[in-house]
Amino acid sequence: MRPFTYTQAKTIQEALTASANNTEAKYLGGGTNLVDLMKEDVERPSQIIEVADLDFDTITSNDTGGFTLGAMLSNSETANHPDIRKNYPLLSMAMLSAATAQIRNMATNGGNLLQRTRCPYFFEASMPCNKREPGSGCGALEGANAKHAIFGWSESCVATHPSDMCVALAALGATVILQKPDRTSRTIEFTDFHRLPGEQPEKDNTILPGEIITAIDLTQPKFKTNYHYLKIRERSSYAFALISVAAGLKIFGGMITDIGLAMGGVAHKPWKLTKAEAFLTGKMPTTANFEQAAKLALKDAKILSENEYKVTMGKKAIVRALEQALAKTA
Amino acid sequence: MDTDISIGTGNPIDRVEGRLKVMGLAKYASEFNVKNLAYAQGINSTIAKGTITAIDTSEAEKQKGVIKILTYKNADKLKHYEEELPAISTSSIQPVLQNADVHYYGEYVGLVIAETFEQAQYAASLVKYTYSEKKPDIDFDSSRGKAYKPTEKSDYSRGNIMQGMAEADVTLEQTYNTPIEHHHPMELHAIIASWNNGDVQAYASQQIIDDATITIADTFQIEKKNVRVIAPFVGGGFGSKLHAKQHVILGVMASKQIGRPVQMTVTRNQMFTNTNLRQRNEQKIQVGAKSDGSLTALSHDTLSHTSTYEEFQESCGTVTKMLYKTPNNKVTHRLMPMNLQTPFAMRAPGEATGSFALESAMDEMAWKLKMDPVDFRVKNDTQVDPSSDKPFSSRLLNECLKIGAEEFGWKNRPQEPGTKEEGNWLVGYGVSGASRRAPYQKTSAKVILELKDTKVRATIQMDATDIGTGSYTIIAQTASEYLNISVSQIDVELGDSDFPKTPGSGGSWGAASFSNGARAACENALTALEEKSGLKAADAGIAKMMQAGNLNLFEAEGTAEPDEEFKKHSVFSFGANFTEVWVDKDTGVFRIKRMLNVASCGKILNPKTAFGQIIGGCAMGAGMAIAEQTKVEPNYGNFITRSFADYHVPVNLDMANIDVIFLPEEDKIANKMGIKGVGELGITSVAASIANAIFNATGKRMRDLPITPEKLIVAQKEPELLNW
Repeated sequence: MRPFTYTQAKTIQEALTASANNTEAKYLGGGTNLVDLMKEDVERPSQIIEVADLDFDTITSNDTGGFTLGAMLSNSETANHPDIRKNYPLLSMAMLSAATAQIRNMATNGGNLLQRTRCPYFFEASMPCNKREPGSGCGALEGANAKHAIFGWSESCVATHPSDMCVALAALGATVILQKPDRTSRTIEFTDFHRLPGEQPEKDNTILPGEIITAIDLTQPKFKTNYHYLKIRERSSYAFALISVAAGLKIFGGMITDIGLAMGGVAHKPWKLTKAEAFLTGKMPTTANFEQAAKLALKDAKILSENEYKVTMGKKAIVRALEQALAKTA
Repeated sequence: MDTDISIGTGNPIDRVEGRLKVMGLAKYASEFNVKNLAYAQGINSTIAKGTITAIDTSEAEKQKGVIKILTYKNADKLKHYEEELPAISTSSIQPVLQNADVHYYGEYVGLVIAETFEQAQYAASLVKYTYSEKKPDIDFDSSRGKAYKPTEKSDYSRGNIMQGMAEADVTLEQTYNTPIEHHHPMELHAIIASWNNGDVQAYASQQIIDDATITIADTFQIEKKNVRVIAPFVGGGFGSKLHAKQHVILGVMASKQIGRPVQMTVTRNQMFTNTNLRQRNEQKIQVGAKSDGSLTALSHDTLSHTSTYEEFQESCGTVTKMLYKTPNNKVTHRLMPMNLQTPFAMRAPGEATGSFALESAMDEMAWKLKMDPVDFRVKNDTQVDPSSDKPFSSRLLNECLKIGAEEFGWKNRPQEPGTKEEGNWLVGYGVSGASRRAPYQKTSAKVILELKDTKVRATIQMDATDIGTGSYTIIAQTASEYLNISVSQIDVELGDSDFPKTPGSGGSWGAASFSNGARAACENALTALEEKSGLKAADAGIAKMMQAGNLNLFEAEGTAEPDEEFKKHSVFSFGANFTEVWVDKDTGVFRIKRMLNVASCGKILNPKTAFGQIIGGCAMGAGMAIAEQTKVEPNYGNFITRSFADYHVPVNLDMANIDVIFLPEEDKIANKMGIKGVGELGITSVAASIANAIFNATGKRMRDLPITPEKLIVAQKEPELLNW
């Protein structure tokens, strides 16, 4: 590991000032991703600014009737919090499917949004990777790409975003709250927070240099009864999703009146299935309709040399997640 | 006293070294407190084939704490390989940093020695290499033209396979694939080496102490007697620590060069590139049978790869030569030199991989014959090893299958695939038979008896190792039995080349060899004491004999080795594995629900440690079936599964409840104590049992391991299912 200096920020002002003074500095939350990548010589910060002890570690009700999740709160505390279990069980379920208990105890909510891809070319410093080293090429495009994207990729990058939590947030709808270096704050719609690779795969998201995520805002409770997070992976724990689906349904009078549907493991960002959502809204929650929606959702898939299975798996996963959501009763 | 479980073998006592382990007092190779220690970090190549044209160490040398940087330019000259592609063994030489050539991605190309581990690691990242790169041979399919027959023993045949196939009513020809796998013991490979005026002392995590001294001595061309290797505890090996690998040589070389002791630990990432692997095996099986189920032909052709500088052949066909009665049999092995590191024995080499192919094919044949797969195996039993015409010392394969079937509830299994549903799940059941050679090797031990007041304390010394298997415990139990004193009066000291020689741990020969060695030493001690005391051991007991002989301290050595009876027989352990799986109808997800392993492996010295060996084997077999796979990057030749996040082994949630039945047995032909190997029998055939269960659940034959959701979701049902 390269030598670095370590700064413990006691206040957010201290963190913002330290960051403003060093463009090579990185904020440290739980360290479950950043430290791993430092050991691999992928991340090379000259300074670590620890922000995990800042005050943004609570869950509070907000004025939209929903709840605000502190960015420094751990994934475990968030997923197991009574208000989250009761009001956003889809989020809780998705978060608890991620990583391992030990990692969830360390990982923070803000850090979860910022975790980087698991693409093996990104991890191996001697391989080409535009995300790690812009201009070096994409090793996966014509290499080992069985776990890579089927939506929204570019010739520059075919990596996927690894988070489970973010797939649920995409389905639920949320707002990311950031503190800027000038100490004002700004907000980003969750679906605009992560970006597609385009010509700049080194940028995972729309956060600007020096900004800190302080909270994630959720509006009024959603999909409290009919929800499911389906994660298909190569082993039952401590594996990233091959495909995951977050599904939330509101059923009224035998019809779907509200729906949240998003996929993980398929794109550079959590992939919201807007066409499928639109198709199912106002329709009956039947398997036939679910199958139609799934077909619609995968219509635009663009496969790579090794990941054709994701199209079949994606369709099956959407139908199954919706059926499981429907089958739940209060 | 017979009911006292603290005396003798056969009792499920706790591990005698367990307390040391849970208290952190059991010392592993890198944990010894050696003064003035420096740390070494290996540097890995970033190409798979070519030559180093320039090395820039200037930046690394400037770093704080850096003592020395070794490359091929300033490394000690070591013994060279004397032939092209020499066969690798547990004691073969390990030259390293001898020239500018690169043979595979991740090969050691340098070493940084520094005051701390962190300094060494950082400086290692700053050494810059320039290469002249050549196109590497990293693709299995395009290397086929290079396949060669390694030795005359690589092929075997009896009868005429063509004729056997022609005589058959039903035939099968299928190809089964197992991927590259890695051993990955919990304890990283490590060494603390001290070179003092031509004497070497090494704390090294090795399975076979004596062979490690040979590799070090031969590679540096010094006398074996000048090399001492110490490994009181080894945190797993699975074959990767049978042979002293290059880090052992580098550690010794580093100490020689700087005149200080040096610690070198292979990182988890380097465990993929610098400690051997199990190579990919493509296995073609042909089976012919009469409509009554009697086999007329069996053949097994294996295509694998070796490195471009050493040769290793995994004998996948071993199992096909001997497991079933068939007049016509053919086994071949071919190797292709590729730019990947040298493969080496991984748990149950030959059997673990070969049994996946054979026992899958047997299941396919049973289905074609419309026979129950248990009955099909039972019908083709043989009590004589058909490959050597020697009788088996004991063979209870049929008993394992029948008793297992009864206990597992096999008769309730639907014979027609895909017919048992539970909600969204399809339920299936699979079976496989297992065999694993039970080698037993020459082993010596020393017993030291001390009399204090009226109580005897015994110490057993041997250079055996405990790689997590329970060697300390079973040796203590053996000594307890033959000396007729409590286990609590016995100390066992292992893992030091100054102690009497044993074959070490590997190939499931440890338990039989170590125990019989300890027995021989104890028997010699008793005989000598009887002479000196004029008393009979059975009447007087050991304390009275020492008192009568006026002895406070007495030592004896003994050696046990295979006798003529052993050599006249074919000695194997046998088993059967039964698995229930649930497969999701749509998503490709599946779960192992339960497993039963029936084992016939001679006398069980300690049911508790033996149980641990079998369930550990089953877990590793499940890993082989559903998870483990090292993937080679198709353009550059590096491994893309390079951490435990990517190289999957099963987690607890993946594992089923595993039941184990040991058939009561003592194989006195195998050795005087009636012991046969346990550990590797556990992994053998588990993958086939799981794959066969998946077929029973879904009608899909999974012939390429590992079986993953992405493979299962696109797999098609067997075409014959429609006409069944």
